[in-house]
Amino acid sequence: MTYLQERKLTGWLYLAPFVVAFTTFVIVPIGVSLWLSVMRFDLTSRESVSFVGLQNFQDALKDDYFWQAMKATLWFAVLMIPSMLILALSLALGMHAMNRGRNVVRAMLFLPGMFNVAVAGILWQWFYNGEFGLFNFWLKGAGLAPQPWLSDRGFAMPSIVLMSLWWSVGGTSVVILAALQQIPKQIFEAATLDGAAYFPLLSKITLPLLRPVLMFVVVTNTIGAFQVFGQPFLLTRGGPELSTRGVVQYIYETAFNNYRMGYGAAMSWLLFLVIALFALVQYRFLRRGHQ
Amino acid sequence: MNPRLSLGLLIGLCVGLGVVRGDFQCLGPSKARKVEISFWNGFTGPDGRTMLGMIRRFNQANPGVLISMQRMDWATYYNKLMVAAVDGRGPEIFVIHASTLPRMQKAGFVADVSNLFGPSTLPREDFDPYVLDQVTYGDRIVGVPLDIHPQGLYANKDALKKAGFDRLPVNREEFVRLASLLRKDVDGDKRPDEWGFALTLWRNNFQSLMPQFGGRFLDENGNADLDHPGNIRALEFLGSLGKDKLVPPPENGLGWVGYRQKKVAMVFDGVYMLGDLKRLNDLNYLGGPLPQLGDRPGTLADSHVLCVREGLPNEKREAVEKFIQFLSENSIEWADAGQVPARRSVRATPEFQAMPVQYGFSKQIPYMIYPPRINVLFEFTLEIDLAVEKVMRGRSTAAEALKIADQNAQKFIDRDRAERVVKP
Repeated sequence: MTYLQERKLTGWLYLAPFVVAFTTFVIVPIGVSLWLSVMRFDLTSRESVSFVGLQNFQDALKDDYFWQAMKATLWFAVLMIPSMLILALSLALGMHAMNRGRNVVRAMLFLPGMFNVAVAGILWQWFYNGEFGLFNFWLKGAGLAPQPWLSDRGFAMPSIVLMSLWWSVGGTSVVILAALQQIPKQIFEAATLDGAAYFPLLSKITLPLLRPVLMFVVVTNTIGAFQVFGQPFLLTRGGPELSTRGVVQYIYETAFNNYRMGYGAAMSWLLFLVIALFALVQYRFLRRGHQ
Repeated sequence: MNPRLSLGLLIGLCVGLGVVRGDFQCLGPSKARKVEISFWNGFTGPDGRTMLGMIRRFNQANPGVLISMQRMDWATYYNKLMVAAVDGRGPEIFVIHASTLPRMQKAGFVADVSNLFGPSTLPREDFDPYVLDQVTYGDRIVGVPLDIHPQGLYANKDALKKAGFDRLPVNREEFVRLASLLRKDVDGDKRPDEWGFALTLWRNNFQSLMPQFGGRFLDENGNADLDHPGNIRALEFLGSLGKDKLVPPPENGLGWVGYRQKKVAMVFDGVYMLGDLKRLNDLNYLGGPLPQLGDRPGTLADSHVLCVREGLPNEKREAVEKFIQFLSENSIEWADAGQVPARRSVRATPEFQAMPVQYGFSKQIPYMIYPPRINVLFEFTLEIDLAVEKVMRGRSTAAEALKIADQNAQKFIDRDRAERVVKP
């Protein structure tokens, strides 16, 4: 074996575990779900397995519950993404301005994100409990009426967003903080010498230089928001009146409660298309602004 | 690193893992071989501990058999069971609700256990015909009912006593009077802090009242009949409790938790909740049949059914049958966990009749109804959920909500029928 051949073989050997895992757990499932999406595949009836072409997609587009779930998902995304961006940016700016204790604050902010969603969900179930929850305990202590955090259609989704922000804002703010720390101090010093105040510094220097990171944050958070599942599933199970049942939960219920794997797979592909479309539009929009 | 050495290490690792995966059976000392049986169920509460005790006793009495139990919450359980069964990795024996049996039967995972029913084994006449019907498909019996768990009424004995009652209410007049008398504003903020009655699982509360008002799930042809006048009247009655402020508002979130905390005096729930109450030392409770709130008595019920996986080898099948017979014959032990045994002979024992709550709930057996035997039960029930929720939140009338529920439910039934037609 020549030296070059040995090098090539070594490369492949290093790659082999990943290639096997990636193929088994990503490529094959994608292929299977694509195949399922054009099949009628009911787990309870092997006889019913048959090719139906685009029928599952057509059915999904005519399914009121699919659109209701899509609406709930969009509502979550609309509430979540701007809140996340503003809060994470504010926290990052605050930490950046700190001279002491920044690492402690950063660690504290990052801590909730280390919890599994199930742990966070159970914790917030207690916070939101109408009778003996923490928030209503505080409200009662302040002489205010207790609120139906999770059992009212108007409250439920904002409550889920609040929990999601607590859970995930730390990670995003740390990413923005890292980007802030990369901006050369000389730029700020020069602008300050020229008499620039805080807000012009922020709008003319900080934000434009943060744009690539903000673009990344918006796109990844959009993808995450469209895939929301754990938080509503644990806090409200999709209620009240399905107002917080997102598309992923509907897909889960269709595939694993109602055993309609084909239909569930088709809805997954529709969700993928929606996410891809949103991500692409955001990417183009933010990129154009940058140029 | 030398590529050949890397390759050798990789192969060695794979072989090593393979040996570990094989539980070292080839390396360890040989031991007497037991027939290993996997038993899955959703008994995650106190009932699980009772079942575990029964299994231990069976394993000790049958040294050649080893039953190992795996339990998880019912929602997760059904998903896992179906996926495992499709893949041929299902347990040898498992518990499912009679109401979910149609789907397992349709999937062909449940074996015919008709042979278990006989004078010397499980006498058919020892089971209520209606209950046996739930597990019968044509001439095949595909499961052995272990218990019956009807919905009933639980009440706080001390609260009832204060209102001048030393027993459970039995009719509408008594029930409404108690619900009204026991609603109290303790702290004077003009909002009730204690309630006479609260809804628990809305869907079950409604379905329990359906037969009392003459309602039904399906018509004679198996089509959805959720907007049946009886169902509308039952839901109107529940809605009226909300309008008259005799139940906490939907956002309140009381219910079973409120009952445990003595903030609610009466609730409807299943006999299986008794296990939870037994753990409380400071709640003096009563349990028994639902009061007659409609024209006739009625309630919702279901059964835990012992099912056997299709296609077991003889050795395992024999062990499983032995175990089923053991559980069924000893179901008085199971009753203690908060269940009503499916066997009439067990219910007739003085031991069972000395269990006041279980015995009280069992009195409803002659007029109980089970959920409909349909493949699309989850979707069907979701429609009931939504209808009840709309009415209790005051967003719709009972007639309108049930009409929509009926239309949607019928769509699911039609789809299921269409998909069951096998293409040539």
